[in-house]
Amino acid sequence: MTQIPHIDVRNLRLVYKTGPGTELAAVDDISFSIGKGETLGIVGESGCGKSSLARAFLAYTRPGARIAGGSVLVSGTDILSLDAAQLLQFRGRKAAMVPQNPLSSLTPHRTIGQHMVELIRQHNAAGSLTPRDKALELLAAMELPDPAAIFKRYPHQLSGGQRQRVVIAAALVAEPELIILDEPTTALDKTVETQVLDLVSRLQKRTGTTLIYVSHDLNVVARMCERVLVMQKGKVLEDGPTLEVFTQPKTEYARSLIAAIPKLRSDAKSAPLKVAVDAPVLSVRDLDFTYGGGGSKLLRRLFPGPAPSRTLDDISLSITPGSTLGVVGESGSGKSTLAGLVAGLVDGNGGKILFEGKQLTGLATSRDRDLRRRVQMIFQDPASSLNPQHTVEQIIARPLQIFFGMSRAASRDRVVELLQELDLDASLLARSPRQLSGGQQQRVAIARAFACKPDLVLCDEITSALDVTVQAQVLKQMKRLQQEHNTAYLFISHDLPVVAEMSDQILVLEKGQVRDYADTGTILTNPKSPYTRKLLDAFSTASAQAAQRTVKHVS
Amino acid sequence: MANILIDTRRRRLSDLFGSPRLRRALSEPATLIGIILVVAHLLMALLAPIIAPYDTSALVGAPLQRPSWEFLMGTDQIGRDYFSRVVAGGRIALMVSFLGVAISLFVGTILGVVAGYIGGRTDEIVMRIVDSMMSIPDLILIAILTLALGKDVSALIPVVAVVYTWGVVRVVRAKTISLSTLDFVRAAELRGETRLAVMLREIFPNLIGLLGVELAVRISSAVLRISGLSFLGLGISQPTPDWGLMVQEAMGVVFTDPWFLLLPAIMLSSLIIGVNFMVDGLSRAFGIATAELG
Repeated sequence: MTQIPHIDVRNLRLVYKTGPGTELAAVDDISFSIGKGETLGIVGESGCGKSSLARAFLAYTRPGARIAGGSVLVSGTDILSLDAAQLLQFRGRKAAMVPQNPLSSLTPHRTIGQHMVELIRQHNAAGSLTPRDKALELLAAMELPDPAAIFKRYPHQLSGGQRQRVVIAAALVAEPELIILDEPTTALDKTVETQVLDLVSRLQKRTGTTLIYVSHDLNVVARMCERVLVMQKGKVLEDGPTLEVFTQPKTEYARSLIAAIPKLRSDAKSAPLKVAVDAPVLSVRDLDFTYGGGGSKLLRRLFPGPAPSRTLDDISLSITPGSTLGVVGESGSGKSTLAGLVAGLVDGNGGKILFEGKQLTGLATSRDRDLRRRVQMIFQDPASSLNPQHTVEQIIARPLQIFFGMSRAASRDRVVELLQELDLDASLLARSPRQLSGGQQQRVAIARAFACKPDLVLCDEITSALDVTVQAQVLKQMKRLQQEHNTAYLFISHDLPVVAEMSDQILVLEKGQVRDYADTGTILTNPKSPYTRKLLDAFSTASAQAAQRTVKHVS
Repeated sequence: MANILIDTRRRRLSDLFGSPRLRRALSEPATLIGIILVVAHLLMALLAPIIAPYDTSALVGAPLQRPSWEFLMGTDQIGRDYFSRVVAGGRIALMVSFLGVAISLFVGTILGVVAGYIGGRTDEIVMRIVDSMMSIPDLILIAILTLALGKDVSALIPVVAVVYTWGVVRVVRAKTISLSTLDFVRAAELRGETRLAVMLREIFPNLIGLLGVELAVRISSAVLRISGLSFLGLGISQPTPDWGLMVQEAMGVVFTDPWFLLLPAIMLSSLIIGVNFMVDGLSRAFGIATAELG
């Protein structure tokens, strides 16, 4: 490490204009420094100012924001005082950023090669090579299979993981001394994320680049960074070595943040007894589902669309009353299709779905009213599942009117009761969903489902749009509701620790096929399939990952 | 995902006027100018009989007089008070446009929501009808309709309705399709709501902001179009005062008395500009995507 710190942030203040004459500080008088080659993680929940801070390292602000004071010194120069031409030199050459969504940062009509070559020319980074060879070299360094083929492709022809690698390659073009990664793997599946993260940390070790890693995912930061900053409301609450922050957090907020991360515990509950005794509320036998392939033969010959693809292949499962079956899988594993079939959003085409022994078929509208009432679904994004034009009262009262024939006056008391059951205040009755926080919105959606007194609730990624501390609350309430009403859950998520915390049994799906299906304890300690083992590794706890990284670093 | 939702909550009028969004909208000079122009035009059209000093079709003086205290804007070629005619010149066009556009919104919304939500074959049939109607050049359509319906002013109402319905169908259908992908529609279907209930309860309230924009923009477009028709002799005819007609009359004296042309032209353009500034500003403030005119 050099005498002067690589990056020195002094009393940085960044404000957003919120109205005429009013401003909100997104970054509030922050000072810290980073040594050369250090890896720093910045964590916090949405709105804590971490992304605004990350952009300040490139002297960039979002529209509506401005830097109200302080300085950011990079190798001794204050980048906030650079003029436009100097900034152009600085960005890309001295510091580069890897954005969150690779698809929106690549121009759709230009090939990967064109993107790379343009950047290499701009920075004169080819050296003795031709720009094309330099691009291929960089792509190869990203461990992309067949760089020459990738070079010719368009962004939409690559997978999410490949795209993210390309964007990282683009950031590396001019060999910057500082790379800022803003939630670079949030959109990726967990196993792909692990690969990308490993690649980044290998590159970092080889080149000695300073790395700033912004994420809401504490696991990721623990895996990647030596040092971590915990932010809340524009302030730095904690700043210290990762292992220390994770094992001995000093502030209450950091402690709650870390406690809220769902952890994989091998001593997780398992309830084989319950499973054996009760008759299942839901059982699924040999369920198949294929998308596409419909229509007449002639039509298919004239318009050959994508080949029919099998989304679900021979799925069997059962859930006993009052218990939870977790379904884990990555995107495209068919887990949402499974929920859609049970709920009656899509019409199935093979196998059996039995609800208390009775066959569930067809779309929800063709099922009888009592069945519709007893099987409820909670969706992933409450911003989408609650009608923005309805009030909270209208939203929760509707099922009461439909299924219990309640009058408007009678339903109000029941709505208030349901709100209270979810720790929501009765004053929210007249609010529109837009006026609620994400956590409140999702609890309204849960109240709407429980208004029906269901026997089975399908939960499709219900916490993936929420911050960790809010997620922890919602999960706790879901457990309490389950105990009070003896409701069975089909709990679907990509997040294995969340599923493990909620479930009595777990079913692991990959590409429409069951990889593992056992009680939670068995899945966590003794999984059968290598795929499940890979998932478990990807989700091992933050402190374990931090410890592991420290060990690797020392040896 | 969230930005496709329209944010126009049910609220009391006092809430609306106190809302920070409206205040922000009014702090933009263009929006404020737009609103003032529109309000002034509406007041003028409503109060024309009170404001105008003379009967608009009465011959009250010698032709082509210069402006004076007696005739604020002079008299036209046959001696009618020009000020009275300028003040009243937007009334008929505005009323015809309002009624015609209201009908087109009503019909267009029904067709658009049904096509967009039900989809499939229904959508195909509705949209192919829309396509074929839109493939007929407007002027030909209008000429045929005026021939069939006669040249009475009230016949212009169905003409405006027919011309504007198809664009409304497209805009409403597009919005309905994007709303239909949202989970609150899934949730309603899972509750077993009928299709009609989904369309009325779930989708329609989310269209109100968009329909407000459509109403304003299409009325201003219809006023311009009716003036164009009057200019060509297809729309409003003598002796009714109408800006388009007045522009046409002024053609003959444009080199000697240009204000005969300028005054109705200024009225017409201030109305159009006012509506556009107002709609742009308000829809930006309330987060409604302004639709392209079809």
